[in-house]
Amino acid sequence: MRGGAIPILTWGTILLVLAVGNWVWNGKAVGSGAASAAVLIVYTFGAAVWLARREAIRRGPPRRRTEDEAVPQASVAAMVIGLSAGCALFGLAWAKFLLYFGIAMFVLGVGRLIVERRAERATRRQVLGEEERR
Amino acid sequence: MSVATGRTARVPVMGGWLGTLTSTDHKRMGLTLGVCSLFFFLLGGVFALLMRTQLAQSNMHFVSDNSYNELFTMHGSTMIYLFVTPMAIAMALYLVPLQIGATRVSAPRLCLAGLWTWICGGLVMQQGWFASGGAGRAGWSSYAPQSNGINTPGVGMDLWVIGVILAAAGMLVMGGCVVATIARRRAAGMSVLRMPVFTWTALVSMLMVVAAFPMLVLVMILLYIDRHGGHIFAGFAGAIDYQDLFWFFGHPVVYVMFFPYLGAAAEAIAVSAHKRWFGYVAFVASMMMFAALSMAVWSHHMYVTGGVTNQYFAFTSTLLLVPAGIEYFDMIGTLIGGSIVLRTSMLFGLTFFIQFLIGGFSGIFVASPVLDYHAYGTYIVVAHFHYTLFAGSIFGFFAGVYHWFPKVTGALLREGLGKLQLALMAVGTNLTFFPMFFLGNDGMPRRVSRYPTHPGWGTLNMLETIGAGIIALGVLVFVINVWTSLRRRVPAGNDPWLGHTLEWATTSPPPPLNFEAPLPPIRSYAPLLDLREEAIDRARERAEVTAGG
Repeated sequence: MRGGAIPILTWGTILLVLAVGNWVWNGKAVGSGAASAAVLIVYTFGAAVWLARREAIRRGPPRRRTEDEAVPQASVAAMVIGLSAGCALFGLAWAKFLLYFGIAMFVLGVGRLIVERRAERATRRQVLGEEERR
Repeated sequence: MSVATGRTARVPVMGGWLGTLTSTDHKRMGLTLGVCSLFFFLLGGVFALLMRTQLAQSNMHFVSDNSYNELFTMHGSTMIYLFVTPMAIAMALYLVPLQIGATRVSAPRLCLAGLWTWICGGLVMQQGWFASGGAGRAGWSSYAPQSNGINTPGVGMDLWVIGVILAAAGMLVMGGCVVATIARRRAAGMSVLRMPVFTWTALVSMLMVVAAFPMLVLVMILLYIDRHGGHIFAGFAGAIDYQDLFWFFGHPVVYVMFFPYLGAAAEAIAVSAHKRWFGYVAFVASMMMFAALSMAVWSHHMYVTGGVTNQYFAFTSTLLLVPAGIEYFDMIGTLIGGSIVLRTSMLFGLTFFIQFLIGGFSGIFVASPVLDYHAYGTYIVVAHFHYTLFAGSIFGFFAGVYHWFPKVTGALLREGLGKLQLALMAVGTNLTFFPMFFLGNDGMPRRVSRYPTHPGWGTLNMLETIGAGIIALGVLVFVINVWTSLRRRVPAGNDPWLGHTLEWATTSPPPPLNFEAPLPPIRSYAPLLDLREEAIDRARERAEVTAGG
C-alpha cells in the first residue's frame, strides 16, 4: 500500500501540465475539457487510494499485511450484473423486452451480491473464531 | 470462500465450466479474457483475409461495396476493441498480481462484472452481422456525420455503438482493478521502484485506460443519441467535436495496445540475455512521460480538418520520439554484454522492436502536418498503423506468450514450431504492409473496395494478399503449437528460463492464492536474479577462502 498513490498522482500532474499547455496553445473548449476531465479522473483515483490508506502517499516499500480478509473464489452476482448490462443495452437496439429483462437481471444480481457479501462476512467471522479458539 | 490472514492459504477451487465463468481468481479471469480475445483475433483475421481477397486485383467483385464497408469496420473494431486492447488487459490481469507478490486482484467481483460486460460487448457488436442492413459500416472510428442515423441507418450500426459502449465500459472497470491492485496489494518490500518492467508498462497502460476510456463511452452514448434524433454532432462544428472526443480516446488506446507488449518483449529479452533490464529508472520515467504525452497528441489525426492547432499537436507528437528512443536505448543496453540465448520469445521480442521501428519512423511522417496532408486518407496511414498495431503489438504479444506459456500451463511450447511461426509472420507482415507505403505514396486511397487498373497497383496488392495468407499460416502454426504442446506436454518446471521476477518463484501453473511458499526478499525489480547473483557471490567467496586456506 505504501507509495501506491505516488505514481498515479505523479502521472496526473504530468497530464495536468500538458492539459494546461493544450489550453494555452490550442484553447478549444472540447479538447481542453476532455484533457481536464482526464486529469480530474486520475487525481480522483489517486486521492481515493490515498484516502483509503494515508501511507499511500509515503515513499518506501510496503510493510507485511497483517489484517485478515475474505477472498471470494467465485461470484455469480458479478457475472449476472455484467450480463444484465449487456442484456439491457442490447434491448435498446433490438428487442425492447430485453431492456426490462436486463433491468430485472440487474436487480437479481444486486440481491445476490448482498447474499454473497453476507456469506463472506460470516465465513470470515467463523474462520477467525476457530483460529482464536485454537 | 476462504480467509487469508495476511499470509498465503490453500483454497479449494470450484471446478467445471461454472467455476471458470464465475471465478474471481485473477488468473482465471485473465485466461477467460485472453481466450475470448484470441477467438475475436481469429474472427478479425478472417475479415482481413476476405478484404485482402477483394483487393487482390483491380475491380474485383468478391464482395459487394456494402459488405466491404462492413468488413473493414468490423475488422478494425474487432481487432482494437475485442483483441489487442483486451489482450493487453488480460496479460496485465494474469501477470501483475503475480509479479508484485499479491495474492489476488483488488475488487475481484467488479473485475468479473467488467469481464462479462466486455464479453457482452463483443457478442452484441458481432450480432450486427445478422441484422437487416448488415453490421456497422462507418469505420472503427465512425466519424459523424457519416455514422448518424441518416447516412448509416440500421440496427447493425446501433448494435456496433452499443457493443463499443459495453466493451469499453468492461475494459475500463478491469483496467481500474489492475491499477488498484498495483496501488494497494504489493507484497512487503515491493516499492514502486522495485516493480518489474512489465508491471510498469501495465500500470501506465491501465492509467491511460482509466483516463481515456470514459471519453469513448461518453462519445458513443452521444453518438447513439445523435443517431436517434439528438442532432448532437450536427454541422462542421459537430463533426470536429466528435473527432476531438473520439481521438481523445483513439490515440491513447494505440499506446494501451503497445506498452504491455513492450513490457512483455522487454521481460523476454532481459531473461533470455541473462541480464537485468538496462536503465530501469530512465525506463520508468520514460514510460510515465510516454503515456502522458500520448494523451496530448490526439488531434494529429485531424490536421486536414483545419479545426485544430497543428503546431501544438505536431510538437507533442514529435516529443514522443524521446521516450521511444530511451526504450530502444535500454533494449540495446540490455543486450550488450548479455549471455544471449536465442529462444523463440527472445526472437519475437527483438522482431517486435525492429517492426515497431518501421511504424515509429513512418509515424514521424504522419505527425508532421505538411507530410500528413500528403499521406492522409491513403494507404500510407494503413501501413503506418499496421506496423505499430499489428507488427508492434502482435510480435510483443507472442514474445509474452512464448515467455509465460510455461508459467500459465506448466508445459513448454515447441521451439521449432515457434521459430517457424516467427519466420512466417515476419515475412507475411512485411509482405502485407510494406508495399502499402508505395501504394499510399502513389495515391491509392484507403477504405475503397475496388481500385482502377493502375501501373504497379495490381502487383503490389497481389503481394499484400499473399502476405496476408502467410500471416494466417503463421497463426495456424501457433494454434498447432499450442494444441501439440498441451496434448503432449513437456513439463516446464517452475522456472524454466531462470526468470527474474516473482511469478517464477511459484508453481507452474500458480496455486489459487498465487504463492504457497514465502516470497523471496525483494530488494530490486529482479528479486530472483538477486538471489542467484548472491548465491554466485557466496560460492565465489567460499572458493576464494578455500584457495587461500
